[in-house]
Amino acid sequence: MTDDILRTTDLTKRFGALTANDEISLSVERGEIRGIIGPNGSGKTTFFNTVTGFYQPDGGSVHFDGEEVTGWEPHRLARRGLGRTFQIVSPFKNMTVRQNMLAVQTDDGRSREEKRDRAGEILEFLEIDHIADNEARGMSGGQQKLLELGRVLMLDPEVVMLDEPAAGVNPALESRIMDHIHELNDEGTTFVVIEHDMHVMKTLADSVSVFDSGSHIAQGDFEDVSQDDAVREAYLGGTTAEDDEVPI
Amino acid sequence: MTGPVPSLDRLPGEPRYWYAGLAVLLVAWPLLFGDFWARIGLGALMWIGLAQSWNMIGGYAGYLDFGHGAYFGIGAFATGIAMAQLGYPFVVGFVLAAVVAATVAYLVAVPTLRLTGAYFAIATWALAESIKQAALVTGITGGTFGLSLPRSSETFVGVPVPFPISEAFFYYAMLVLCLATMALTYYLFERHEFGYRVKALRDDQDAAESLGIDTTRVKRQVYVLSCVVAALFGAVHAWYIVYVHPNDVLAPIITDRMVIMALLGGLGTLTGPVVGGLLVFLLERLSSVFLGSTTFYLPLIGILIMITVLFAPSGIIGILRGEVDRADVRENVKELGEKFDLL
Repeated sequence: MTDDILRTTDLTKRFGALTANDEISLSVERGEIRGIIGPNGSGKTTFFNTVTGFYQPDGGSVHFDGEEVTGWEPHRLARRGLGRTFQIVSPFKNMTVRQNMLAVQTDDGRSREEKRDRAGEILEFLEIDHIADNEARGMSGGQQKLLELGRVLMLDPEVVMLDEPAAGVNPALESRIMDHIHELNDEGTTFVVIEHDMHVMKTLADSVSVFDSGSHIAQGDFEDVSQDDAVREAYLGGTTAEDDEVPI
Repeated sequence: MTGPVPSLDRLPGEPRYWYAGLAVLLVAWPLLFGDFWARIGLGALMWIGLAQSWNMIGGYAGYLDFGHGAYFGIGAFATGIAMAQLGYPFVVGFVLAAVVAATVAYLVAVPTLRLTGAYFAIATWALAESIKQAALVTGITGGTFGLSLPRSSETFVGVPVPFPISEAFFYYAMLVLCLATMALTYYLFERHEFGYRVKALRDDQDAAESLGIDTTRVKRQVYVLSCVVAALFGAVHAWYIVYVHPNDVLAPIITDRMVIMALLGGLGTLTGPVVGGLLVFLLERLSSVFLGSTTFYLPLIGILIMITVLFAPSGIIGILRGEVDRADVRENVKELGEKFDLL
């Protein structure tokens, strides 16, 4: 029997005539790193937004850690342990890095001192503690990605949903971010990751879900999924590739 | 800017000596300079406090409240009604001002804080105008006649006082309220995590929500707090001026001044409303003293605002902190020159 920490059942989201998510049923096992891939406009970010409460679903349900959380407000889900980042990185630019961390609100009853200590530990772990008292607006794009991850870690989340964590990041920093994700995963944090870089996805994800036109069309490990006819159809528009590589 | 956040303590010598000197000056002000300057000081303190109250919602939270002056009027009328209509001492009016303002602000916050930007500004402006019109036709507020408050010269909170209730007395009352407002703003918005959450929702509401911040609740808290502070200044103003009329204490210019002062000084900063409040108030008073009853200072303020918005959006405090990017200023000047065919 699998230990699902996050499960959606027939999750549907429509914008007028457009069905952005069409009855998506997907289960994420506790402790895994699940990749979500799909062409632009396939409904990946809408799925994130619906699961994390930013959109109200038009149908279906979301279960998190054994509890139905469909339609919960985002802050309530975050405090429950479901963290997320955004495609466009958004640090609170008029605050210092440390203040960005301390702005995070939890229900765990930590004192101010404990919270400051925890923020210090996370910044040290992410190797950005040397800029803790600098304003976030002066950080590089990669540092901002690390700060965004750091803020989510202040929630002590059980599941972290990352929307393109490697986008716009130089290879050295990308490798650092991936190492941090692996380390956190080894400590028990579950990840759901949207990523367009297939090399990153191949090395990072334990299993991959493929979205196309709002539907969940395939799931499995990276190698199996890349051989799937429906996936090839989605990425190649119906043409048959001669080689075995999925050009995505 | 990548360095540490700049400190304001750039004056030569120990900052604590400057603070001590300022404290002595503030306390000795009416004793040193007499009633006229006590009145000027009282006005400056009131406007600094009001600008700071607007800065809480407009600067720190980023919600352009164009109806904030209504709460100054609500505070003034709550005190007026308590003292003139119901015969209670000032302290009851002061508490009533806070309670009424908090209740009205909460009821207003529920529907209006769902709006953002210009929609919120228009909704709050319309609210202030309706409150003013309601006060003009309601019996308990004195309608178009306003309310005259009793002035006691021998008692405070019903207890005989060993000193005269004079200009200096009201100066000290306003000083205490202004300092309390500053201390509250410093603690809540600059030092406490609550302030970080307020700034977070201003910078990116979705990101704030995703980090466990109940943005709806935080917005309501800031709005109610800022309105209560404005109402308390209204209460002391009514006590001092002993006459409240809707056209005075509910005038749109009250909100306009708060906005201008905070904007000019620096939005979302502790000291911005102090600098902006002092500058605008003194400009107004000095033009009145030297040029007589005139509105000459208004175009001057307009020009100052335009310069600020175009070249130093973070206000005078931003300039003092060195946050003005010269390249941006050059770019803005070039753009303006081209637009008006000056270059």
